[in-house]
Amino acid sequence: MEGVSKRFGSFYANRNVTLSVEEGEVHTLLGENGAGKSTLMNILVGLYQPTEGRILIRGEEVDISSPGVAVAHGIGMVHQHFMLIENMTGLENIILGDRRHRTPLLQEAADRATVEELMERYGLEIDLDARVSDMSIGMQQRVEIMKVLFRGADLLVLDEPTAVLTDLEVQGLFDIMRSLTGEGKSIIFISHKMREVMRISDRVTVLRRGETVATVPVAGATEQELADLMIGQKFTESTYRKVEDAHEPALTLCEVSWHPEVKHGGLKEVSLAINRGEILGVAGIDGNGQAALAELVTGLVRPESGELVGPDGAQIALFSPEAFIDAGLGNIPEDRNKMGLVGDMTVAENLVLKQTRSERFSRGHGAWLKMNAIERHANRLREENDIRCTSVNQLARSLSGGNQQKVILARELEGHPSLLVAVYPTRGLDIGATEFIHDQIVAQRDAGCAVLLISADFDEVLKLSDRIVVLFEGQIMGTYPGANPPIKEISLAMAGK
Amino acid sequence: MAKEAISAQERRERALMVLTPLVSVLLALVVGAVIIACLGKDPIEGYRAMLQGSLGDLSKLSKTLERACPLVFTGLCAVFAYKCGVFNLGGEGQLIMGACATAATILGLGGEGVPALALGLLAGIVAGALWALLPGILKITRGLNEMITTIMLNYVALYFMEHIFKNVFSDQGLPKTVALPAGVRLPKLLGAHVGVIIAVVLGLVVWYVIFRTSFGFKIRAVGMNPVASRVNGFPVRRLVLLAFIISGAIAGLGGAVELMGKTPFRLAAGFGAGFGFDGVAIALIAQLNPIAALLVALLFGILSTGGIMMQSVIGVPTAIVDIIRGMIIIFTVAGMASIKLPQLRALIASWGSKSTEAEASA
Repeated sequence: MEGVSKRFGSFYANRNVTLSVEEGEVHTLLGENGAGKSTLMNILVGLYQPTEGRILIRGEEVDISSPGVAVAHGIGMVHQHFMLIENMTGLENIILGDRRHRTPLLQEAADRATVEELMERYGLEIDLDARVSDMSIGMQQRVEIMKVLFRGADLLVLDEPTAVLTDLEVQGLFDIMRSLTGEGKSIIFISHKMREVMRISDRVTVLRRGETVATVPVAGATEQELADLMIGQKFTESTYRKVEDAHEPALTLCEVSWHPEVKHGGLKEVSLAINRGEILGVAGIDGNGQAALAELVTGLVRPESGELVGPDGAQIALFSPEAFIDAGLGNIPEDRNKMGLVGDMTVAENLVLKQTRSERFSRGHGAWLKMNAIERHANRLREENDIRCTSVNQLARSLSGGNQQKVILARELEGHPSLLVAVYPTRGLDIGATEFIHDQIVAQRDAGCAVLLISADFDEVLKLSDRIVVLFEGQIMGTYPGANPPIKEISLAMAGK
Repeated sequence: MAKEAISAQERRERALMVLTPLVSVLLALVVGAVIIACLGKDPIEGYRAMLQGSLGDLSKLSKTLERACPLVFTGLCAVFAYKCGVFNLGGEGQLIMGACATAATILGLGGEGVPALALGLLAGIVAGALWALLPGILKITRGLNEMITTIMLNYVALYFMEHIFKNVFSDQGLPKTVALPAGVRLPKLLGAHVGVIIAVVLGLVVWYVIFRTSFGFKIRAVGMNPVASRVNGFPVRRLVLLAFIISGAIAGLGGAVELMGKTPFRLAAGFGAGFGFDGVAIALIAQLNPIAALLVALLFGILSTGGIMMQSVIGVPTAIVDIIRGMIIIFTVAGMASIKLPQLRALIASWGSKSTEAEASA
């Protein structure tokens, strides 16, 4: 792939990316969430068309206009989320949709022989007659790989294949990958788990913010170097004042665990205090327990062990978003469309979402909504927060991402929360909206609010945080000061060292 | 202060939402006319007979209103549930259970006058609510799909009613219950029973609750985005359960009204048949607006009573009316779906820009 760019609107998901994969190598595509890995692969398998650039296969330029064309060129992808039909057997899933026989009847016996031969050759163990729903995750993945091989792929794209596997299954997968490359097949391996990348790859291409940073051979590189390339090391001095003397804690976590057996999603005996007048930043590569942490501190899930202590020093017993909101929680959730807004309601309605029973917006505890008061309130917040819409009676889903986020921010900050949880607050936003949201978060801190900032954007964490903790595989690797942060140490911790 | 202008795009979309059902009704009538013409009859005369037979004079009008009355209840039952994202298809069962409870209360306890009337209506409401509570509990605790469970419970209700009219309150061993005594029938007003007024008032109340109260606000929010509702602290499961209960109560009240208001004032085979799914159709055509549901139910009433007159005047079967009703549903649903097609959206947008250009140049 040479000089490939993909633009969505004014946003470049990929800009001038160059990637070359040799025959018989495992080539890793490394990058944080949102770095453009998936977009690039979707271009390769024909789901997206590149805005610029070209794709060459064995020196010949090809136009991959559809997934069918990609298959014809020997490119196959194993998606992170399996695309199997649960009620069919392994064999049925493998031969599904294949047209080599050009007959209306299935040639099951012939196909079975072909598949069995491939199984033999690459050491892929599959129970062809078991239904997919009865298979282990590892075997389901082998069915997916076999599907691709059966269609004659020479270049396999494996999108975060280890995310769902146990350690033992990962070992099995790597053995299969080795035997595939041994036969001259090429593999593009997508991951952000440094250890695995080091173990399996021949070369690594690092993407950051849609651009190629470097392509390096793994032999001779260290995890540290790769992590530095991935998260970027240009530390620009933060424009915000950093607080070093925070007030009392607004929320304390004491040895909290939640599904600790899950490496990439659980939490293991996490202890931390979120203090008033301080921004606590959680750094870490995505999928190391951030989502669970966010759900715990917003009352969506209850810890399996350990306890949460509120500002009054009492242990929190009731875990529900309602209770947390009543206690002064402001929440900027991870997915603004799914969790933050009701897209089919108007901007005005979304701005009063939690307050429809209050005296301000209704008579008789919600028995009669004051529509005029709601609209005036919406217009005031729209003014103050520079929410760009033609009217507050517009549906929230018709706003741009930045303006949607401003609606959420306006609503959450309006009640002067004592604890603000912001998860990926500026993901996908342009610079202007990002600056605005950063300013607002810092202003809340200055007003005495405790802020928990969870972000996969390392620069954002460095810029805003007064104190930084690093999450790795559900555990806290260390706590670092926000003023003059030891970047080297932090990025080591993010890689699990 | 006047309501602030919304964007041209959204205004067009809202206009289309209103236009779709109107155009659908017209198209369905045209298709009906073609079929009547194919049968060698005069469609104009047929439609005139239909209007004559349904709205021609006071007694015909009141008949139409009484015919539309239970459909208002099942329609509102569907509207309320769907607003909360609950696909209650059990309006019919809930209506039947309501009527059974009313019959059992009145025939079992005896009594006359206003207290007995009130008790009968209350029994209907409670029974309808309980019958909807069942699938509600199954949904929020076990995640069972309410579309399946409510339909299945319709059959249970149907056979329960059969048990009631054959075995419990049978009229001299015949497969029908004893008729309600005159003292517990709904009073008449201008020829139609007062249940019609209850239905209209209920339509307004449902509109008010859904669009003007905090409770209705939350019901709508849960219907449109349950995840965001939960994150923002709404008790989603409780609201869903309440939507089941209220929607069932509306249907149950409809059953009580139908039994106490309409001749022959008794349960028998065929009581309530088809009301549930007509209600679903009404809710969809009315685009989940309770007040529009009143009008659509009236239209269904006109088609039903007018169809009989059309049959006797020009001699076409009443099945024509069923075809027209079916066509209205198909055209509305297809119209709603096609509005969302990207090509059509682009076309509408281009019309809009032309008209704004025209306005600008004018």
